[in-house]
Amino acid sequence: MKLAPLSIPYRAVQRGISLVVTLAFVLFSTSSFLGPLGPLASVGVLGLAVLAVVGYEVAYYRRFDYELTNDTFDVRSGVFSRRNREIPLRRIQNVDISRNVAQRVLGIAAVDFETAGGGQTEGSLRFVTFEEAKRLQAEIARLKRGTTEDGEPVPEPDEEELFALADRELALVGLLSFDLRVPGLLLFVLSGSVPFVPAMLPDDTATLLGIAGIAVLVVGVLLFSWLASAVVAVLNYYGFRLTRTDDELQYERGLFQRYDGSIPLDKIQTLTVTDNPLKRYFGYATLQIETAGYSGGSQDGTARGSEAAVPLASRERVVELANEIEAFGEPAFHRPPKRIRRRYVVRYLIALGLLTGVSYAVSVFLLPDLPWYATAVALPAIPIAGHLKWKHRGYWLGDDHVVTRNGVWNREIKIVPYYRVQTLIDSRTIFQRRWRVATVTVDTAGSLSILGRDAAAVDIERADADDLRDELTDRLRIAVARRRSRRPRSMAAEPADPESGTTGPEQPAAVTTDGESVSASESGPTGESAPSGDESDEVGNGFVFGTAIESDDEESKPDDRAAGNGESASDDTDTTRDGA
Amino acid sequence: VNRLHPRIRLLWIARAVLFSAVLGAIAFGASRVLPFAPVDPTLAGGIVFGAFAVLSVTLAVLRYRLWGYEIRDDSIYLERGVFTRVRTVVPFVRIQHVDSSRGPLERLVGLASTVVYTAGSRGADVSIPGLTPDGSEDLQERLKGLAIRAEGEDAV
Repeated sequence: MKLAPLSIPYRAVQRGISLVVTLAFVLFSTSSFLGPLGPLASVGVLGLAVLAVVGYEVAYYRRFDYELTNDTFDVRSGVFSRRNREIPLRRIQNVDISRNVAQRVLGIAAVDFETAGGGQTEGSLRFVTFEEAKRLQAEIARLKRGTTEDGEPVPEPDEEELFALADRELALVGLLSFDLRVPGLLLFVLSGSVPFVPAMLPDDTATLLGIAGIAVLVVGVLLFSWLASAVVAVLNYYGFRLTRTDDELQYERGLFQRYDGSIPLDKIQTLTVTDNPLKRYFGYATLQIETAGYSGGSQDGTARGSEAAVPLASRERVVELANEIEAFGEPAFHRPPKRIRRRYVVRYLIALGLLTGVSYAVSVFLLPDLPWYATAVALPAIPIAGHLKWKHRGYWLGDDHVVTRNGVWNREIKIVPYYRVQTLIDSRTIFQRRWRVATVTVDTAGSLSILGRDAAAVDIERADADDLRDELTDRLRIAVARRRSRRPRSMAAEPADPESGTTGPEQPAAVTTDGESVSASESGPTGESAPSGDESDEVGNGFVFGTAIESDDEESKPDDRAAGNGESASDDTDTTRDGA
Repeated sequence: VNRLHPRIRLLWIARAVLFSAVLGAIAFGASRVLPFAPVDPTLAGGIVFGAFAVLSVTLAVLRYRLWGYEIRDDSIYLERGVFTRVRTVVPFVRIQHVDSSRGPLERLVGLASTVVYTAGSRGADVSIPGLTPDGSEDLQERLKGLAIRAEGEDAV
């Protein structure tokens, strides 16, 4: 299959504009040196550049070929260095479609195929028609479902709407989403102009005006950034809809840039319910859904992390939704020991002390009139803050899930199925040891955990931490065993091959396509950073040392494992193929 | 709980001394270059070197004392850390692969590390230094066997 023909002009313009502008600028500013023929030569060079860009894009189009087979998605691409890539369908975690305004006018769409393993997109199509994009999405979902025993395709499951964002809620999303980075940036930019204004006025009025000006400025910046955040949020979440079929969640959102993605239910690692004091007061919350290593279909950073989530809904609705996706029940949190409140109070006191010290230093060296003791007004708030911090912490072990809760301003309730636990980390800092407490972090393969936002039971009693560690290890083992016994087996484990399994990342069997030589595709960009991405539907279940352990019929073949890792794309040919 | 090979202390201490030497050299250079050097450059360098050497060597020795690992029935257990004491549990079912690696310094003292990878975001954190090359390979083999068995056991 070819890309959409319209992708040629679109890509040419996209790629060409900056090049041509730069070149034109350089040429016409230097053309006077070239004498009378200068302008002509410049136009000639420019024309060549345009031809080159268009030519390249035409070649790109002609050399780009993709195909959806029964078990892989194959892409052959590259003008100068060729790359053949085969992504096993089973490994595809998400199929994301995005369209900006221009693309929507042209009727084309960008499609990204995400497998687990790093933030990188394993396959992308730039660009196909929107109909083709939807067809691919549906087709991949259908092929992944497979066929029934009589060889008939499994009928398309009924789609059930889980959640649609009402207009009122969209407005609330806008009002409640305040990106703190915007005012910071604005203030930083604007603060440069403040000192100059009062300098031009007579002394008496200057101070007054200066203060008033700063106040107006701050309020203005806050208002502006609130508005800006609101607009961004509304644009992002316009028309948000979350639907569920038997085995997938699908979402669509966005006003100008339209996103359209699918999340297989059995790839979900963690659910996160977040709120802040404002949302709590009005009874709202946000739900985030993490799959392994999924970066949320974003190239531009507007969509951070797993925004394949419910941006805002009433608290009950969010909990109900989360329960529908992962039935975890009604958590009853164990809080840390009460004495830990004193630790938080001490911590805040130290922070306040430091702040006071700084402001005292400022008053001594810079501004003699500064009321440096004014920080004392925060003193009464400290015990309350300490209490709140303690109050909003907690953990709970459910039948199939561990749930943790942390944070006051940005409270996160993380729901991790035992089955998704990767490692358990119990850490005790020197201060925690003094207070006889520990933190148990539950590491998963989820995307947010890469940012250090793992589920964690913070500041619990040491004995509880020891128990929790063991308990979670046990429950993981049981969950894995239970999961396996439910699944059909086809083969017992093959004997391990001592030869191929000695050093590290297994080399998947390489498959040569169209006669080009293929080295065993490298596992991961570097051998070491590969918390490697081969998530079968259960992360890290298919254990392989260069040997196929057929733990279940179609998963964890070693060859599949390269799928998540094959993004070290510089090779001539980068082929990963389902060995079946 | 298994301890690391005592020779790892050599490696760590050497690293600590090297690190302090670099800092000492920087202090020496800085007090040479600065116009208002408060003390003699050699003295400054020596003090910085000495202070950091004592500190970091103590840390290295403590780190050795606090390091331990254990291969349990269904998981690997590690404990380590001087200031922040960390205990990590890696269930065998979660092991993706096991590396045995030998850096240049490690080769010099005849030691090797075993690194265990999981799919979790902190997977690469789990590395056991200070093993003899044979020990490291044995451990790798053993972990491999255990991990495969963990899979095989429930694969009924």
